[in-house]
Amino acid sequence: MDEDEIRAFAEGRPAVPPYGAEARARARERLLEQARGAGRFRLPRFGWQAAAAFGVTVALVGGAAVTLSGRGPDGVTPATSATQAAAGAPDDLDPRPGQFILVESDVMYPLFRIGRSGVDSRELTREHRKVWQSVDGSADGLLLVEGRASRPWPDESLPEAAAKEQRGSAYIALPACPGDQYRPDYASLSTLPSEAAAMRAYVYRASAAQVSKAQGKRVVGTDEAAWAHVKGLLEDTYLPRAQREALFEATKTIPGVEVTEGVADGADREGVALGRPDVGGKLTQLIFDPTTRQYMGLRSTVTDAGQANAPVGSVVNLTAQYDASVVDELPDVKTRPMNGGTCHTPSRPPSDEAFPMEAPSDEAFPTDALSEDGFSMEAPSDEAFPTDALSEDGFPMEAPSEDSVPVEPPGEAYPVITRTVTASPEPPPAGD
Amino acid sequence: MVGVQDVPETLDDSTLIGHSIADPESFAALFDRHADEIHRYAARRLGAELADDVTGEVFLVAFRSRARYDRSWPDARPWLYGIATRVVAQHRRAERRRTAALAKVGVERPGTFDDRSADRVTAEQLQPRLARALTGLNAGERDLLLLVAWADLSYEDAALALGVPIGTVRSRLHRLRAKVRRAFGGTDPFAEEAQHG
Repeated sequence: MDEDEIRAFAEGRPAVPPYGAEARARARERLLEQARGAGRFRLPRFGWQAAAAFGVTVALVGGAAVTLSGRGPDGVTPATSATQAAAGAPDDLDPRPGQFILVESDVMYPLFRIGRSGVDSRELTREHRKVWQSVDGSADGLLLVEGRASRPWPDESLPEAAAKEQRGSAYIALPACPGDQYRPDYASLSTLPSEAAAMRAYVYRASAAQVSKAQGKRVVGTDEAAWAHVKGLLEDTYLPRAQREALFEATKTIPGVEVTEGVADGADREGVALGRPDVGGKLTQLIFDPTTRQYMGLRSTVTDAGQANAPVGSVVNLTAQYDASVVDELPDVKTRPMNGGTCHTPSRPPSDEAFPMEAPSDEAFPTDALSEDGFSMEAPSDEAFPTDALSEDGFPMEAPSEDSVPVEPPGEAYPVITRTVTASPEPPPAGD
Repeated sequence: MVGVQDVPETLDDSTLIGHSIADPESFAALFDRHADEIHRYAARRLGAELADDVTGEVFLVAFRSRARYDRSWPDARPWLYGIATRVVAQHRRAERRRTAALAKVGVERPGTFDDRSADRVTAEQLQPRLARALTGLNAGERDLLLLVAWADLSYEDAALALGVPIGTVRSRLHRLRAKVRRAFGGTDPFAEEAQHG
């Protein structure tokens, strides 16, 4: 600070008492209450929603926790096995508009519990997932997450918080996004290129928005973004035969990708793997049925112990995705809304209400002082956060637990966020 | 998914906020990082008592706005200070509404800086010379000055916090410095000219 006038204020800054421990704890708890109401479930991993498919998975330690209760939601048993194709030789599905495609999977991934001073513990968390998607994208989908017991981090013992945790299940509504450019429904996936080169071009085009250059801390290259997009296209979805064959061939051509035969998925089924070094000292392999090119799951193996903090060769991500089936309707269950899983098609141009633009004004008090709430970001928020107001809904799966926030699904689906710092011509909101 | 090397110390605010979209409770980590600092700023501007409320409010607002956070900014402090500044302003406006209501029922309407509670508290804690200088500034100038002087924000960060272009910050700084200089007694005719020109 080289300006005397500013330095005078800096030096004259009033001494203030520290934030009282009690008030601080109260504020933090209020925040956590709000956060708990907002729900915390892993979102489907469709690539086009994964603006940050490169995210880590964290859980927070230290807040009072809401965990999934051990009780199954309402004893619903969707009839799936009857329509499931025989493993290994799945007949191609022939779904009709109005129906739903159900994809089940078992997944395991690293979870870090984060406390005030950094990572408190780590584990490999597991869940069983069922995802129903409307065949033509006309209706909301459904996600069932059933918690499974965590496994210890390689060469470590299971953290106490993980051992004590009671995992349950939850149904989450997946909003239909008919206006979105990239959608995970069968009808939409059927329109993807059926030829490898065109599919490759599509993947690079669709993932271009996720390429980042020196923004934030990690640079995401075009190949890495394309690779992540491929993952997103495969996980929780069912691709028609032509598209999955094209995608397999296209993925082989992404720089860094290597083909390995006989790689086992999370259900110990062997397939052909397309592997690529991933961030964090891992090799990630996408595993496919050798003949049908059905996606079977993924496996991430540590290649750099220092980066991964786990011995070389240990497996830290492991998935088995099972054959898809067609069902006529969704199970009739109480759902909770999906937080953050919003449509990409904004109902209005992206604006940032947290940054209301100040109208250039030299008057001591701008006119927005007259608005009753006087606070534009407090206005009922848009559909980007439909769940924030829903904390009182009494979702059936909530149960108190003591001292840690339970396993959190990886946050892989973030809405695209844009903001421009410019003076806005918009006048402040006029109130009464 | 990434490796551990990204997680503890290197997990920047932007990444944390990103996680908090799917994992809302992880937002508390942002509170743990910055609550003391925001509280200090609020206490300087509004007094220790109100600072407790303001700080809680800032993080609730931030939480609700987290989806719109520009994640190309790794450090969330400017964003939080921007929200804090608006929460402070809200208190100022609330006070002004009360004052206006009082005026309607016949209470004499005060019209000076010192009658607006938020600014009064700010001023009370200051040396008279600084307090006097503050009274000559408008709200935008005051916010900017105190973000730079008390929160140690760079001009770029202050622009981000206030949601104005950096050019506006520079010109506003130029103007407010001239006003402060004049209030300190060192009248500078050129600054005076700049102010009116």
